[in-house]
Amino acid sequence: MGHSTDQAPGEGAAVAVTVVRSGGFAGLRRQWGVEADSADADRWVALVEACPWDECTSGDRTAGGADRFAYRISARVPGATRRADLAEAEASGPWRALIDAVHEASTATSGS
Amino acid sequence: MYAIVPPYLLSRLADAEAPHLAVAAEAARQTLAVTRAYHATRANLEVSVEGDALVFEGSPAPDRVISDAERRERLPGVRVRGEDDPATGDTAADQAFDGLGETFAFLWDAFARASVDGAGGTLAATVHYGEKYDNAFWNGERMVFGDGDGEVFTGFTGSISVIAHELGHGVVEHSGGLEYAGQSGALNESVADVFGALTEQHVRGQTAAEASWLIGAGIFTPAVQGEALRSMKAPGTAYDDDVLGRDPQPAHMRDYVETTEDNGGVHINSGIPNKAFHLVASALGGHAWERAGRIWYLTVTGGSLPRTADFARFAVATVHVAATEYGEDSEEAVAVRTAWSAVGVTNGGAQH
Repeated sequence: MGHSTDQAPGEGAAVAVTVVRSGGFAGLRRQWGVEADSADADRWVALVEACPWDECTSGDRTAGGADRFAYRISARVPGATRRADLAEAEASGPWRALIDAVHEASTATSGS
Repeated sequence: MYAIVPPYLLSRLADAEAPHLAVAAEAARQTLAVTRAYHATRANLEVSVEGDALVFEGSPAPDRVISDAERRERLPGVRVRGEDDPATGDTAADQAFDGLGETFAFLWDAFARASVDGAGGTLAATVHYGEKYDNAFWNGERMVFGDGDGEVFTGFTGSISVIAHELGHGVVEHSGGLEYAGQSGALNESVADVFGALTEQHVRGQTAAEASWLIGAGIFTPAVQGEALRSMKAPGTAYDDDVLGRDPQPAHMRDYVETTEDNGGVHINSGIPNKAFHLVASALGGHAWERAGRIWYLTVTGGSLPRTADFARFAVATVHVAATEYGEDSEEAVAVRTAWSAVGVTNGGAQH
């Protein structure tokens, strides 16, 4: 099971993922995180590695209009740390799957 | 002239036999004889007789279309209400419909602007976007409203300041735009907030002194410790909550927030120009849209503001408009200069 955290990706767990959502009409910054031990690491590694980390170099964060969300996703998996900045319109497919999974795991364990 | 004379009125006029209407009757007959393309602009038309004259008074009317995304993230969704349709019974759809109408009325009454595009164009909105979607946005063509997650937000259509804020983005975009990043992005946000606040004040008939100057009042759930999302009167004081933290908006350039999040803090640093607008409106008093709002509106729509304008460039532009419209030493020009200085944008304030 995932473990919620409000901190940066943890150093103790095998896998750690943090999602920071900023912007939106409200401009509220929200952060969700998950740490997984080795027993549950495979699922999270698969979610992380499914994302095209090296391709998220969109120059135009303003695409899609005003008041959209902006995401910063940080992940640490065995042997690598990764980070990506995404406009909401870019956060689809595997990104969305990862964001939703972190959100769900974080919400489920923190109850907030 | 945005009004068009409907065919039934032309027919009545064409049949008129009173001698003083002879010319009008002939004109009406000729007009009826010409095959006309359908004109999409809608209008409110009042016809009255004053003495011997037939008086037509026209003002544009909104053309609203509300769609329902049915909790999916696909636009536009299913059309649920058009301009001539009765209320749907769905709260979000009907609130969006009413809010679009109130914003349309404000734009026309305050600035003689016909709709967001200035040409009477359709106002489109989609409600029930996504699952517990915690946001409202402008996608370049339409307003889109989520339902909120029920924990932080109750939904977004309940506040006219939110609806008018989104339409404000549309006005900015149709006027040449302000790049949605850094200071120009914060100006884009601030101008949208100005439209949001002024529309609410217009609906309520409030003066600058009576207004709350809050953006998004009432959309937080009772669980959140806060009255609104932003305060133009006192940026940084709208909420202070255990989960959400404290409203991070600055009210002065010395507190400008450098960040890579939120497109460079566009929803944060908008507090500075928001406060400048509030100061101008408060100094001038009365209905804020009549002078302060007009100066801001003419600045944004005048066609000479660069897309990448920073706060200082925008300040200069508002001072220029105020001086041109009201006089170099007018109360209005003085109020605008004083406000930008008070928030540290001019007179030695940080020129970011």
